[in-house]
Amino acid sequence: MSLLLQGVALGVLTGGLYALLASGLSLYFGVMRVVMVAHPAFLFLAAYLTYTVHTALGVDPFLALPVTVPVFFALGVAVQRLLVARLAPENVAMMSVLLTFGLALTIEGLLGTFYTGSYKSVSMEYATRSLTIGGVHLPYDKIIAFAVAALTLAVLFAVLVRSRFGQALRATIQHREAARLVGVQTERVAGYGFGVGLATAAVGGTVLALITPFFPASHWVWIGKLMAIIVVGGLGSVAGAALAAVLLGVVEGVVLVTVDATWATMMFYVFLFLTLLARPQGFFGGRLAHRF
Amino acid sequence: MRTASRGLPLLVAALAIAYPWLVPNYYLVYAGALTVMYAAMATSWNLLGGFTGYVSLGHSAFFGLGAYGTGLLVTRLDVPWAVALPVSALLVTVFAVGVGVAAVRVRGASFVIVSIALVSMMNLVVQGWRSLTGGSTGLQVPSPFPGLHRGQTHMVFFYLFLVLLGLALLSWWYVSRSRFGAGLRAIREDEDKAESLGVPTGAYKVAAFALSALFVALAGGLYALWFGSLDPIFMFSILIGSYMVLMSLLGGVRHVYGPLLGALIVAPAGEYFLIALGETQVHLAATGVLLILVVLFMPEGILSRLTRGRGGPSIPEESAGQRLEGAAR
Repeated sequence: MSLLLQGVALGVLTGGLYALLASGLSLYFGVMRVVMVAHPAFLFLAAYLTYTVHTALGVDPFLALPVTVPVFFALGVAVQRLLVARLAPENVAMMSVLLTFGLALTIEGLLGTFYTGSYKSVSMEYATRSLTIGGVHLPYDKIIAFAVAALTLAVLFAVLVRSRFGQALRATIQHREAARLVGVQTERVAGYGFGVGLATAAVGGTVLALITPFFPASHWVWIGKLMAIIVVGGLGSVAGAALAAVLLGVVEGVVLVTVDATWATMMFYVFLFLTLLARPQGFFGGRLAHRF
Repeated sequence: MRTASRGLPLLVAALAIAYPWLVPNYYLVYAGALTVMYAAMATSWNLLGGFTGYVSLGHSAFFGLGAYGTGLLVTRLDVPWAVALPVSALLVTVFAVGVGVAAVRVRGASFVIVSIALVSMMNLVVQGWRSLTGGSTGLQVPSPFPGLHRGQTHMVFFYLFLVLLGLALLSWWYVSRSRFGAGLRAIREDEDKAESLGVPTGAYKVAAFALSALFVALAGGLYALWFGSLDPIFMFSILIGSYMVLMSLLGGVRHVYGPLLGALIVAPAGEYFLIALGETQVHLAATGVLLILVVLFMPEGILSRLTRGRGGPSIPEESAGQRLEGAAR
């Protein structure tokens, strides 16, 4: 029983990070109808940059954020403006996947060249201890990861709901032509949307570096997991993605403590295929998801 | 023009058959066999990608399954290799029908996601099922021709892959002239309209998916017999799947020889990078950059560029309705 609780607790904590990353994917999909396969590759790029900052300067990994977040925002705007926006409009869905897939390969290759293919990790003294509540051990690094992810998500939601930029962004997601008619500069907004998405990857990368060892090729596992999450949640639905992220995080955590790591990862694909068979548009997806 | 379009393939075929006797060393025979293998796989990928427009990044799943199927039948059940190869490919095709039923329910981007998930899943299964597949330590398959030395084996497999490539090209040609092919093309142009015109889109898509899996599985089986050593990380790598896509796109997905042309460019370039730079990760980055460039600047491929304005592409670009009427007559 306590084993099960442990699994659930760890699952919720990991689910927070999944939710943050999946929300970035939903954002890209919303503004450009693009499935950004390179999102996890950028996540690992951020993790490696955090590693460099931490080892070269010896500072806390979170101090890398003031550098990586603006850089990634700029990168995101550049990716949208220079690459995605140039695709021919008739086949954006397929071509954008291939384009971002090419980006992912490029980043993986460069990371492998500069950092070699071996495992790297960032370990902080505070991350090795754990909090024990009622027989359930919660490692501090996982708690910090969850807190940072939840905080970032909260800020993201606040920006989307409260600010003028958020309104313009949501208008662009809901109906591009209509948004343009009321004076939203949709091209610029879409670029900023990509920037915000990649900025969440920068935060996620720092968190990831803290909680797990990483190597360049491991972003493929994350693509599989995140894609499963957004398909189960319904493409384009930020709230659906967040719910599916926590749900799948819990399933993963429970299977991880009761069976083994292989089956824990496999559960993502099982849920992916079950969702496709039962409800191809995803469980929380709205109007958008039907066509993709 | 007419003699060129008839004569050129014959000339290329003759050159291909003579190739192992023209090159000075066995390394080039090996590189040639590898290129022909990729050409066969890309052509087979194009049976799905070119006709229906469904881009699969996960065809390396069928490559790996075909290889492991053949390898396991030979090593665990002592089946002769000539039987194991087609049996394994047929089993993979049946499996592909099952996957296809789930996968082609979604379109566009979701389909690509599913295909990526398929590779990751198969990789996990084969690595995890240690008692059967040997897990990450790999599976050793005995050579089918123990009497031949390494170079002669390369030569035999060069011709075996050439036969496979011929079969894949023939099926593409045959499908492109059939009612089935017309239906698939209608799906590419507008799936909803095709369905309302009475094309059994679901069944056609699953059939195309399975057919393209069949030849990739055969290539995988031949690869297993050729190399004799299987490793799940390589066999189910996303890179092999992306090579098939890159080659087809580069050459031109709407042409029967498009993937072949793409393979003739990409595979030797890959081998050259391997020799020039050694086993580094740079080739990954190079593949990625090439893919980005092709997608941005030449999504229709080289052959479309070349034939534009003179004679048109080898498949007539008609609307879905026109094709169906023509095929029904």
